[in-house]
Amino acid sequence: MTADSGASIRQLRRPVPLIDGVEKVTGRARYTADLDHADALVGRILRSPASHGDIVVLDVSKARALDGVVAVITGDDCAYTYGVLPIAMNEYPLARGRVRYRGEPVAAVAAIDAETAERALGLIELKIAELPAYYTSEDARAPDAILLHDNKPGNVERDVHHQFGEVELGFAAADLVREESFCCAEINHAQIEPHASLAEFDPLTGRLTVQTVSQVGYYLHLMLARCLGMETAQIRVIKPFIGGGFGARVEALNFEIVTALLARAAAGKVFMELSREETFITHRARPHTDIRLKLGMSRTGRMTACELQVVQRGGAYAGYGVITILYAGSLLHGIYDIPAVKYEGYRVYTNLPPCGAMRGHGSVDTRHAFECLVDRMARELGLDPFAVRRANLLHAPTRTANDLMINSYGLAECLDRVERASRWKERIGRMAPGKGLGMACSHYVSGAAKPIHFTGEPHAVVNLKLDFDGGITALTGAADIGQGSSTMVAIAVAETLDISLDRLRVIAADTAITPKDNGAYSSRITFMVGNAAIDAARRLKALLIATAARKLEARPEDVECINEVFRVGNQSTLPFAEVVAAALVDEGAITVKGAFTCPPEAQGGKHRGGAVGSTMGFSYAAQVVEVSVDEVTAQVTVDKVWVALDCGRAINPLAVEGQMQGSVWMGMGQALCEETRYLDGLPAHASMLEYRMPTTMDSPPIETHIVESHDPYGPLGAKEASEGALAGFPPALVNAIANAIGIDLNELPATPDRIMDALIERRRQARLARTLKAAS
Amino acid sequence: MHAPGPEAKKRLLRLRVNGRWREDAVSETALLVDYLREVAHLTGTKTGCDGGECGACTVLVDGEAVPSCITLAVRCEGRSVETIEALATQGRLGRLQRAFHEKLGAQCGFCTPGMIMAAEALLRHNPQPTDDEIRAALSGNLCRCTGYVKIIESVKAATETVHDR
Amino acid sequence: MSAPLPQFRLAAPRTVTEAVAAYRDHPGSRFIAGGTDLLVNMRRGIGNPTYLVDLSGIDELAEIRITDDGVTIGAGVTIAALAQNDVIVARYRALAQAAAAIAGPGHRTMGTVGGNLCLDTRCIYYNQSEWWRSANAYCLKNRGDSCHVAPQGQRCHAAFCGDVAPALLALGAEIDISGTRGTRRIFLSQLYVEDGKAHLALADGELVTAVHLPPDPPASAYAKIRTRAAIDFPLAGVAVALETSGADIVSLRLALTGTNSRPFLLAGTEAFAGRCIDDKLLNEVDRLVQKQVQPMRTTITSANYRRVAAAALARRLITTLGTAGAA
Ligand SMILES: Cc1cc2nc3c(=O)[nH]c(=O)nc-3n(C[C@H](O)[C@H](O)[C@H](O)COP(=O)(O)OP(=O)(O)OC[C@H]3O[C@@H](n4cnc5c(N)ncnc54)[C@H](O)[C@@H]3O)c2cc1C
Ligand code: SF4
Ligand code: FES
Ligand code: FES
Repeated sequence: MTADSGASIRQLRRPVPLIDGVEKVTGRARYTADLDHADALVGRILRSPASHGDIVVLDVSKARALDGVVAVITGDDCAYTYGVLPIAMNEYPLARGRVRYRGEPVAAVAAIDAETAERALGLIELKIAELPAYYTSEDARAPDAILLHDNKPGNVERDVHHQFGEVELGFAAADLVREESFCCAEINHAQIEPHASLAEFDPLTGRLTVQTVSQVGYYLHLMLARCLGMETAQIRVIKPFIGGGFGARVEALNFEIVTALLARAAAGKVFMELSREETFITHRARPHTDIRLKLGMSRTGRMTACELQVVQRGGAYAGYGVITILYAGSLLHGIYDIPAVKYEGYRVYTNLPPCGAMRGHGSVDTRHAFECLVDRMARELGLDPFAVRRANLLHAPTRTANDLMINSYGLAECLDRVERASRWKERIGRMAPGKGLGMACSHYVSGAAKPIHFTGEPHAVVNLKLDFDGGITALTGAADIGQGSSTMVAIAVAETLDISLDRLRVIAADTAITPKDNGAYSSRITFMVGNAAIDAARRLKALLIATAARKLEARPEDVECINEVFRVGNQSTLPFAEVVAAALVDEGAITVKGAFTCPPEAQGGKHRGGAVGSTMGFSYAAQVVEVSVDEVTAQVTVDKVWVALDCGRAINPLAVEGQMQGSVWMGMGQALCEETRYLDGLPAHASMLEYRMPTTMDSPPIETHIVESHDPYGPLGAKEASEGALAGFPPALVNAIANAIGIDLNELPATPDRIMDALIERRRQARLARTLKAAS
Repeated sequence: MHAPGPEAKKRLLRLRVNGRWREDAVSETALLVDYLREVAHLTGTKTGCDGGECGACTVLVDGEAVPSCITLAVRCEGRSVETIEALATQGRLGRLQRAFHEKLGAQCGFCTPGMIMAAEALLRHNPQPTDDEIRAALSGNLCRCTGYVKIIESVKAATETVHDR
Repeated sequence: MSAPLPQFRLAAPRTVTEAVAAYRDHPGSRFIAGGTDLLVNMRRGIGNPTYLVDLSGIDELAEIRITDDGVTIGAGVTIAALAQNDVIVARYRALAQAAAAIAGPGHRTMGTVGGNLCLDTRCIYYNQSEWWRSANAYCLKNRGDSCHVAPQGQRCHAAFCGDVAPALLALGAEIDISGTRGTRRIFLSQLYVEDGKAHLALADGELVTAVHLPPDPPASAYAKIRTRAAIDFPLAGVAVALETSGADIVSLRLALTGTNSRPFLLAGTEAFAGRCIDDKLLNEVDRLVQKQVQPMRTTITSANYRRVAAAALARRLITTLGTAGAA
C-alpha cells in the first residue's frame, strides 16, 4: 500500500506557491461577501437578548407590513433540528419556544436593503419569560439547576469513563505521584473573514443554490435538505474563496440555514453578512475547560499511570460536543507509552453560545495540562525535560493502550532537532534573569479513521478529467480554506504522473460538480484526499501507459513516463500530448475516479469510544519556546520558537512551514492573550479589539524543522501538518515562564494580570513563611 | 414599493480611484470601504471587523495607508485612493504581490489585500525597511493564518527585487 | 456592506470661525477630526449626531510651530506627524513615545491630537453594539439609568484611555479653546473632570484648537501597559517629567491615563523636590499612585492589576529617567 511512486521528482519537496495564490494577492479572489449580490435581498437576524427563557410573545406582523420587507421568518418556519452529529441534533436554526443563550437567532428578515431590514428587526415584538441561567459548568451541574435539555440530567451532555490498564497498580509502582488542576479559558477561531452566505431559491424549478463559507459543504447540504424539507438533489452548495476556518465552519451554521430559509420564503436571492460580533456569537470554538490530572512517574522519568478528569463548558447546544469530550481523553494516547490511563470527561450544557471544533480539536487543553505536569515532575526528580519525554517514546509500528494504530513516529527526531536548534543543553539553567526556555511535545490525527456520518462510502473520492487540451481537471469535494489543499491535490496528481503542474486545474467543493467529500476538518485532507488523488492519478497513468505501449509496440510494464515523456528504456519516446491524443481516439475525454478508504484495522479497537482518535497516522511535534518575563509589569514576551514537526513527508515544504508557523502562532494566542469572556452571558470579547489575537509586534520568529518519518500509508508518505504543533505551544510557554521566574501557572491565558496575581501570592507566601519562621 | 428612509442625502463625489477620476453620487454617511466595494465594484478590499480593528480594509489615500471602514467616502473628495487592484499593471504582479505569492505570505488570502497595501505604503516611504520597521508598519493588520512569519519574509523579499513598480 | 450609519450631514469648514458657526447653527452637531474614535462609536449606534463638523480641512489646526516660547501643536495635527516630529522626538520624548504607542499605524495617520485629547471614555459595558447594550438595558453613560460597574453609585466610571494627555500633562501643557463666546486658554489639567459620562470641561460647541508646551522641557518618558503590543488602549499609562540637579530631584511631575475617568497629574510630587531617587522615594511614589488611581471593572483585565501595574510603571520610569539624568 506504499504510495511512494519513485518517479522523477519535479515538484515534490520543492516550495510550490498556492495554485490560487495569484487570485489572492491581486484581490481577484471572490470570497462570499464579494459575490455579486446587487440583486439580492438583505438578510438580518433578530437575536435573543436573554440567556434563558421561554418565548411568550413573538409578533412579526409589524415587520412584515413594513414597505420593502419581503420575508420574515421565525422558529415556526422550521420544525427540524440540525447538528453535526446524527446522534446529537438538538438545535433549531431559529429558536422554537425557548432560548438558551444571548444571541441565539429568534427571527430573520429579508428586505430590499440593509436599512429596511434593520428597521424591520426593530419592529418585531419579542417577550421572553426568563429562566435561571448558568454560565459555569459548576452552576449548571448544581443539584437544583433546571435542565437546558430535558433528556440530559445534571445538564451533562455526555460523560465519558474510560480505563485502559491497571491505573492503581501504576500509581503504586511510581516513585513520584503528582496531581494538579488546570483551567484553560474558552477561545475562538477568529478567522479574519466574518461569516457570510448567499442563497438563491428558484420557485420555478424548486432548486436552491447556496454559496457560503462552509468548510464542509456536504454537511451543510444534508442539513439544508433536512431543515427545508427538500430533496438533496434539489440543492447545490458551492464554496467560494474562504477566509480561514480553523473549525468554525465545519458544522452547518444557523445563519446558513436561516439564509436559505429566507431565500425560499422570499422566493429569491438573499445575502446575509454577519457582523464580527455575530460571527463571535456563532462561536463553535474551544470550550472553557477544567482539568484535574494525576501522573505517576518512576525515578528515571518513566510514566507509570495517568488519571485525567476533564470538564468542558459546552454552551447551550450539542454541536460537536460529544466528539470534543471524547477526543480530550483519547488523545492522551498515541504520543507516549503510558501503561495505564483512566479518563473521566464531562461535557456540560450552559447558557452560552455553543462550542465546537477548533484547530487541535479536543487535544489542546489536555495536552497543555499533561506537558506542564510532566515538566514539573521532571524538575522535582532532577531530570531534564527532554530526557523525560525520551524515556516514554513509542516505537512504530505499534498500537496504543486504547488500540490506536501507529505506523510512523518521528517524535524522537523532532526532540533532537529542536534541542539542537535552540542550543538547549548549552543554555538551559544559564539564562539571564527574567529569561527562560520551555519545551513540550504534541501530536494530532491525520483525519478520523471512522467518519462521523458513516455511510459505507470511501473516505474520499477524487475525479480526474483528461481532455483534448492535455489538461487535467481534478474534481474534489475537499474545501480549500486557505490551508492549500487544492495545491496539494494538484501536486499529488502531477507527481504521480510526472507531468507539469501547469496541466492541472483543481475544482473544489461544489456539490453539483465535485464528488462528495467529508470536508476540511481533523486534518484529513492531505491524508485521505491526497491518497484518493494519487489513486485516481495511478488509474489515469495506467490508461496512458497502455496507450503508449500500444503505440510504441512495447509491453506496458516496460513503459515509463518521465517528465512528460513516455519511453521504453532509452530508445523510443512519445511526448505526453501525443499519448493523450491517442488515448482519446474512440474514447473521447477520459474521466477516472480514485478513492481512499481507511481499512477496518485503522478504525480503532472494540472497546467503548475506541473509534475516537483512531487515525491512519499521527503527526508529531516538539517545540522550544524562549520568553522574557518582566517581573515589574508581569508582561511576557515570546522571543523565539523552534518547532519540529513529523509530517511524514512534506509534499510541499512551503505549505508545511506555513502551517507549522500558523498553528504554533495560534497556540501562542491561546497561551498568551486570547480568551472569550461573558458578562451575564453577553460576550465581552466580541470584537477584534477585545479578542486580543497577537499582532505583528507580539509575534516572534518561528523556526521550523520538518521531520520526515515516511508514513507507510500516507500519500507519498505524508501525514497532516496543520494542527500537530499547536497544542505544544501553551505548555512550552508556561514551562518557559516557570524557567524564567519560578512561577507555575495553572491558568490560561498567561495574561499579565494572572501572572501578577501569582507574583503577589508568592510574595505573600514568602512573607508568611518568614513570619512563621520568626515566630518559631 | 419602499418608503424612503429619513432623507437620504447624496452628494457628487469626485476622486481618483486607482489612477482614474470618477464621479459618483454618494451618501454623506457612506464609508469608503462600502463605496469601493459596492459602487466601484472593487471587492479586493475586505471587511474583517465592525470598524477600525483589523486592517483588512486598508487602502491608500494620497499614498497613506488607512482603514477604509472608518473613513467617510466623501472625505476623499479630490483625493487619490489606491486599492489592491491597482498594483498589478501591464499583466505583471506588483513586487509585493509577487513576493506574497511566492513566499506564501498569503494563506487564506483574506488579510492579504490590506496587508499588501500597508506594506506598499511602507516601501514607498522606506524602500529598505528593517524587520522591526516592517513589523511596526503592519502592526494594525491582523492575520489569523500565517503567524506573520512569511508575511514579513514576503515584504523583505519585495525590497530585494528590482524596482519594477 | 457595513451596517448603515445613522443619517447625518457633513460640513467641511475651512476656518475655526466657520467650524464654530456651523456647529452653532445645527442642533445635534458633533466635531469630527480623524474620526477614528467617533465613527467607531457611531457604527455601534453610540451617539447619533445629525450633523458632523469636519475639522480635517482647517489648515490653521494642522501645524506644529516651534518658537522661543515653546511649541504649539494644532489640534488637527495627526498622531503620526506628532510621533515623527524631530523636535518632539528629541526634546518632548514622552509625547513622541505616547503618540507612537497609539493604536495602529493607520489610526495614527488619521487620528489627531485634538481627537485624542477629547477621546470618549471607555468601558466594557459601553463600547459594545446597539444589540448588546440594549440587551443589557443600556447604562448610565448612554440611554440607561444604572451603572453595571458600580450599581450602587450615581456616576459613570468609564476610563479615559488617551495616550497623549498624560504626556502633555507631565510636560505642563496649556490648551486653546474656541467657541461661540470667543477663545480661552487653560491648563490641560483643567480640561478634565472625574466623570465618565461628562469628562470634558468644554461648553457645547467649544473645540480645542491648539496645545502649548513650554520651552526647555525636562527629561520625560511615557510607558503604557496593554495586553498586546499594538492596537490596544492603555490598561494604565504613565508619563513622567523629571528635572534633576546632580542626584537631586528639582521637579517631578507624573501623570496617568487609563485608570480613571480623566487623565490626571499625580498630586503630592512637589514634596520630592530636593530628594534623591532611592527605594524610599520609589515606595512613596508607588503608594501615591496606588492611592490616587481608581481603576474600576471597566476592562476585562482586573482593576487591581491596573492599579499595581500603574505604580510599577511609575517606579520604572522614574528610575530610568533618574539613571539617564545622572549619567
Ligand atoms: C482599534 C483602535 C485602537 C485604538 N487604540 C488607541 C490607543 O491605544 N490609544 C489612544 O489614545 N487611542 C486609541 N484609539 C483611539 C483613536 O484612534 C485615537 O485616540 C485618535 O487620536 C483619536 O483622534 P481622532 O482625530 O480620530 O478623533 P475623532 O474620532 O475625530 O474624535 C474623537 C472625539 O473628540 C472630539 N473632537 C475631535 N477633535 C476635537 C477638537 N479639536 N476639539 C474638541 N473635540 C474634538 C470628537 O467630537 C469626538 O468626540 C484607538 C482606536 C481604535 C479604533
Ligand atoms: S462605568 Fe457604568 S455607567 Fe459608565 S459606561 Fe461603564 S457601565 Fe456604563
Ligand atoms: S474592516 Fe477591520 S479595520 Fe476596517
Ligand atoms: S492569510 Fe488568512 S488571515 Fe492572513
